[in-house]
Amino acid sequence: MIEALPYAAVVLHNRTNESGCVPDNGLFCPSWAADNWHDFVTPSLQHLVLVAVPILLGFVIALGLAIVAHRRRWLMPPILGATGALYTIPSIAFFFLLTPLIGRGRETAIIALTVYTLQIIFRNILAGLDNVPAGAKDAGRGMGLTQNQLLWGVELPLALPEIIAGLRIAIVSTAALATLAVFVGGGGLGTEIFTGSKVFNTRLIMASLLVMAIAFCFDGLLLLLQRLVTPWRRAVPA
Amino acid sequence: MATGSAPRDGENNGTDAASVVYEHVTKRYPGQESPAVQDLSLEVPAGEICVLVGPSGCGKTTAMRMVNRMVEITEGDIKVGGTSVRDRDAADLRREIGYVIQQVGLFPHRTVAANIGTVPHLLGWQHDRIAARTSELLDLVGLGADLGDRYPAQLSGGQQQRVGVARALAADPHVMLMDEPFGAIDPIARERLQNEFLRLQGEIRKTVLFVTHDIDEAIKMGDRVAVMKNGGHLAQFATPAELLMDPADDFVEDFVGADRALKRLSLMRVSDIDLWEAPLAFVGQATSEVKLKLHRAEVPHVLLVDSQRRPLGWLSERDLAGEVVPEHPDSPAEPRLDRDDVMRDALANLLQSETQYAAVVDASGEIDGVLSVEIISEFLGSPEAREEEHPAAERPHD
Repeated sequence: MIEALPYAAVVLHNRTNESGCVPDNGLFCPSWAADNWHDFVTPSLQHLVLVAVPILLGFVIALGLAIVAHRRRWLMPPILGATGALYTIPSIAFFFLLTPLIGRGRETAIIALTVYTLQIIFRNILAGLDNVPAGAKDAGRGMGLTQNQLLWGVELPLALPEIIAGLRIAIVSTAALATLAVFVGGGGLGTEIFTGSKVFNTRLIMASLLVMAIAFCFDGLLLLLQRLVTPWRRAVPA
Repeated sequence: MATGSAPRDGENNGTDAASVVYEHVTKRYPGQESPAVQDLSLEVPAGEICVLVGPSGCGKTTAMRMVNRMVEITEGDIKVGGTSVRDRDAADLRREIGYVIQQVGLFPHRTVAANIGTVPHLLGWQHDRIAARTSELLDLVGLGADLGDRYPAQLSGGQQQRVGVARALAADPHVMLMDEPFGAIDPIARERLQNEFLRLQGEIRKTVLFVTHDIDEAIKMGDRVAVMKNGGHLAQFATPAELLMDPADDFVEDFVGADRALKRLSLMRVSDIDLWEAPLAFVGQATSEVKLKLHRAEVPHVLLVDSQRRPLGWLSERDLAGEVVPEHPDSPAEPRLDRDDVMRDALANLLQSETQYAAVVDASGEIDGVLSVEIISEFLGSPEAREEEHPAAERPHD
């Protein structure tokens, strides 16, 4: 079916003076793109899930780890070491290594992608917590804030810029990595990129642009979120 | 002392201040050979400012931070209002004790109003009550109510520290802990903040533990001053005047500085000293009469006054050469000092002027007496002066 598509496009569009583009596998054939965009809808939606879910899961896990490491500093090196080691496993190998353990499918892809986000998000949350002014923490404690009140009311809000910066990096890398989900049957835009031996450039470029668009959209949303939740950073010194 | 060092009782517009009593308090940090604070005993009466002063590393901050259990006590006990701090839940205890630090430590992500409302919020006050208290406090520390909506980054350093003080006062604490509160502020603004705080303290009468490394600040702010030396020893605990008059040992003497006599003068007013009586002359008076007075007087010059006894000028020998006292004397009555002038400023005035004598007037401008450099130096050296500051029985003198 995938092999047949370009020829079908030729038949339909030979009146548009672009007859050469598709059979010649030109860099980008707009008419083909216009006629076949609907093929990209489902993979794009799958791709959105493959980015959003690992980011959310990774954030929750990394936040938990960061809070533990923040309170028990001696736990920081082992957690950094573990997430770092996981991060350095070659990505394709990791996807394939997971399949004998948990089988193929979207869940496998989500697990692998989640693991890849941990190191970045964890590091950034800790960096954010470390940057909280010592005076604010001391004053907070001295006024009778409990450890939890200080964490949720002072430290984490003040760490938000670094935390969001970490999420933005993680999103861009996850959007790209998620194309590998296709190798474990996880769907996503990878299905339009890794199509077998015959590479059709227009399809490749469309899928890549969509991956980038997804990354940019999430990135923009986070930027917007950051502006909304950190109003004090826009306050102009009097 | 601007606030006066007499025991303060009577009016009090908030929660009663509580005394703070250190009982043989020692703090040892694990892994350190010598204690940070060693066997510290001192009593801060309710409503007084006690300044802990000493070189860095003397344990003054540690001593202060044990009151609200930011540092845990190793041995001994601290009682706030008669209750041991060790028996209290740390967070509850801290909500009853105002806390001001050098870095101010305002929450950058919360508005000024929200910062001030921190402790009331923790205590579960109603929203309206917090808002009312916040604007009351902004006013109390001399900030406009419109600043409530700003973020800390939008304030100057001095304004931030005012907010820090307001935040510490929010829930009307029994005790205030202030750790070098004005240390990071430029000298001019610091002076103003110190004066404002003393004025404020005149109204609120909190028990204040104030940490500083600056002896001048200690003398200015303290009703009592605890001088600490390295190893967490208390070298002397006394009123500022006692400290300057009678340093307990060489360390304290060094620490208060070679200019301690001058510092003492800054604690006194002209009215605190016995002035000399000037021979007075009125316009038109016979000079023979005046010359007679001059013989008996301590001051070798005659002061011309008007009918309301307000000084007009000093009469020279030439002025007195005629039959009657002239209307316009040779030298004006400068410097003219006020009874309420700080003695240190009075001395500076004297030293700058050409005469050795200064006419001191009361609030209505009437002559009260004459101040001279001699009086001041005699006063500083006299045993009578020493007795004035503390009971003679307590300290025999060399």
